[in-house]
Amino acid sequence: MAQTTRPSGMRSILRFLPLPRVAALGIGPTIAAVVLLLIIVVTILSPWLAPHDPMAMSPLQRLKPASADYILGTDAYGRDLLSRVIIGGRISLFIGIAAAAVSVALGVLIGLVAGFFRGADAVIMRMMDALMAMPSILIAIALVALNGPSIGSVVAAITVPEIPRVVRLVRAVILTAREEPYVEAAAALGSSTFKILFQHLLPNTMAPMIVQGTYIVASAILTEAILSFLGAGVSTEIPTWGNIMAEGRTFFRIKPSLVLWPGLMLTLCILSINLLGDAVRDTLDPRLKMREG
Amino acid sequence: MKLRNRDFSGAPVVLDIENLVVGLAHTSKNEPFLHGISLRIRKGETLCLVGESGSGKSVTSLATMGLLPKGSLAVRSGRISLSGENLLSLGEAQMREMRATRLSMIFQEPMTALNPVMPVGRQITEVLDLHTRLGKDEKRARVLDIMRQVHLPDVERIYRSFPHQLSGGQRQRIMIAMALILEPVLLIADEPTTALDVTTQKQILSLITELQEKHGTAVLFITHDMGVVAEIADSVCVMRHGRVVESGPIGDILRTPREPYTRDLLDAIPGLTPRVPRPEPKEPPVMEVSDLGKTYHAGSLFNRRPPVKAAQGVTFTLKRGRTLGIVGESGSGKSTVARSIMRLIDPTEGHVFLEGHDIAYLPHPQLRRHRKHLQVVFQDPFRSLNPRWTIEKSLTEGPLNYGISRDEAVAEARRLLKIVSLPEDALNRYPHQFSGGQRQRIAIARAVALRPDVLVADEAVSALDVSVQAQVLDLLAELQQAVGIAIIFITHDLRVAAQICDDVIVMQRGVVVEQGPAAEVLAHPRHEYTRTLIDAAPGRFWDFAGRRYLEAS
Repeated sequence: MAQTTRPSGMRSILRFLPLPRVAALGIGPTIAAVVLLLIIVVTILSPWLAPHDPMAMSPLQRLKPASADYILGTDAYGRDLLSRVIIGGRISLFIGIAAAAVSVALGVLIGLVAGFFRGADAVIMRMMDALMAMPSILIAIALVALNGPSIGSVVAAITVPEIPRVVRLVRAVILTAREEPYVEAAAALGSSTFKILFQHLLPNTMAPMIVQGTYIVASAILTEAILSFLGAGVSTEIPTWGNIMAEGRTFFRIKPSLVLWPGLMLTLCILSINLLGDAVRDTLDPRLKMREG
Repeated sequence: MKLRNRDFSGAPVVLDIENLVVGLAHTSKNEPFLHGISLRIRKGETLCLVGESGSGKSVTSLATMGLLPKGSLAVRSGRISLSGENLLSLGEAQMREMRATRLSMIFQEPMTALNPVMPVGRQITEVLDLHTRLGKDEKRARVLDIMRQVHLPDVERIYRSFPHQLSGGQRQRIMIAMALILEPVLLIADEPTTALDVTTQKQILSLITELQEKHGTAVLFITHDMGVVAEIADSVCVMRHGRVVESGPIGDILRTPREPYTRDLLDAIPGLTPRVPRPEPKEPPVMEVSDLGKTYHAGSLFNRRPPVKAAQGVTFTLKRGRTLGIVGESGSGKSTVARSIMRLIDPTEGHVFLEGHDIAYLPHPQLRRHRKHLQVVFQDPFRSLNPRWTIEKSLTEGPLNYGISRDEAVAEARRLLKIVSLPEDALNRYPHQFSGGQRQRIAIARAVALRPDVLVADEAVSALDVSVQAQVLDLLAELQQAVGIAIIFITHDLRVAAQICDDVIVMQRGVVVEQGPAAEVLAHPRHEYTRTLIDAAPGRFWDFAGRRYLEAS
């Protein structure tokens, strides 16, 4: 009897480790995890991995095809495409993660207040509605135009339109959670509003926030690329996937790889983040899990 | 009212379940959930399947309907035959044809079983669309006919109504109409009256009986309520842990139960006779409530609707060591009163004096000082503890809020766990690792951790099995004796009220209709509504623990 229970005990311990849990979900998410991990490791190590200086122009080497020295060839200024793509990933990923972190953090705070305090709710939600009514690219372009192209303003530009989505989600979770008897019991036990908000209610938002966070990372990377492509992003001296593509666009007919390689990286990265996000959502949603099991 | 005593030995067997074993699908290693269930129902007979939660009664009914959750539960061996035909050998399509035409089912919660966006008439007609080839007018006539048979008023109007426009009892009548329109030989009723008020329950039970007699339907009735069993069963099958403990005619089971488990089950059912009155202590009351009321103003600036008086004119005094019962059906305002006293909602009129201080309108910061004197235990033990917190964290939350040191609070939590007879290692575990009864005991421990003067128990035992219910009630009585706590007990169950309350308030639609010592109100009700409530209590003619009829009937 004792022996038969041991493996299930082990399994329940393993369940708390994230990786085996993801791996248990099937082949697609596992590949996505591996690809994403690879992209992250390469971009973090990019200063050491890059064979050339990504900013170094050399007019003699303009638009060279792939060779042993320039594995993916060079761009119109003779800069090494491979180096630019892996360094560019660093900025893109940083912007994605930073935008997700900031919008989730602010969104959760605003959402908690909106969900818990009846009076604040109406005011906050109308402001959020107004934000949502504006096209997010337009807000982003306006913000960047006002503050000048820098990583900070791009992150802000992406964050502002994402916040209302997070707020709505958090508010919905809080609206149901605050009706739970354990929240009322906490009030009866004399717990302060602060304690109820942050110790009883906040944990309820974690699962949906992890999932929403991954989607925001993906869409932020994409928005960054679009902003860069439109020339409203980070200054062109700092390579990002978006502005590499924007610059390569002019030479698309002569040398399509200038657009294809950063585009491929972008696609792979976003696809794997989305796949992982779906997988995390499925693991965290007990109803979906039941259906599988 | 008498126990049923009809002989079915000559009638043809409708449902015959033999040695049914159900276990997890895809594996034969685990213990099965059902260890060889056998039962038999004849034409026109009602068999009650009784048992506490987890006894396997619902799995039995789902297996019969062929509705076991796919991929998780499967029949391992045994036979289920309906009028001689083995249901287990039928394919998916054949089984679908069998449902509704030969066997059908009604569920506990009619609101979730009906489609909320389709008029109920159309939903009944759908059954005919699927299984018959009648013309449009014929179908409509038949639907209206069955709706009349289940005694729905104004059938033309209800035909076009949506589920949310009907009362709980009417919805359950629609479900019954749907189940019986094709005149199946077997009706499975899975706790069909558990979600209903007692007065509605009584009507639904007599409706099922009436239709059964008219059509000769065999009924498999699943319930946890022995009172209901005494009302409608011809025979009883007591289940526990996936086994049939005892089965036989209703009279035999209730008079001479053979198995100890059946005896315990019957002994745990509280009687309707009020408790022996306790002497009232001669000291000032700990709580005085006068003219308490709560009015909800519905509608908006542009759409004025009349305000809803959820509760009004509630007045009582409560002394240390006494229990006050507030009894009523859903919508009677009893929970509104409890929550207003607790200040979980803000009352709109009246006063609540707690040890001399009026707390009815205190702003929240000042209220906090008084909160510790007033604690609450909720109905649903699965939702009243934070699922992410260890028991230790839950039990120490209150004391820590009032500045008691962590060490002291943990020591107190340990002591409390002992009082509610849970092991000490429970402190480091999470709520989901406990059963409903254990969780309710934890919730009580949490409430008394602050040493309150008044404990409000809002339907605190309603979600529990009878035997567990008895344990929790005993625990409350012990605590009351030990620390002299005053209890306000909100319940819809007159048996429970009779067992533990000193005084009773009966409420109906937000108004107090009768109030007084329990012995007086429950034994000699003056108000008509109280009488209706007592009349509707199922099995009130039978003394379960005494195994005999009550003299009064």
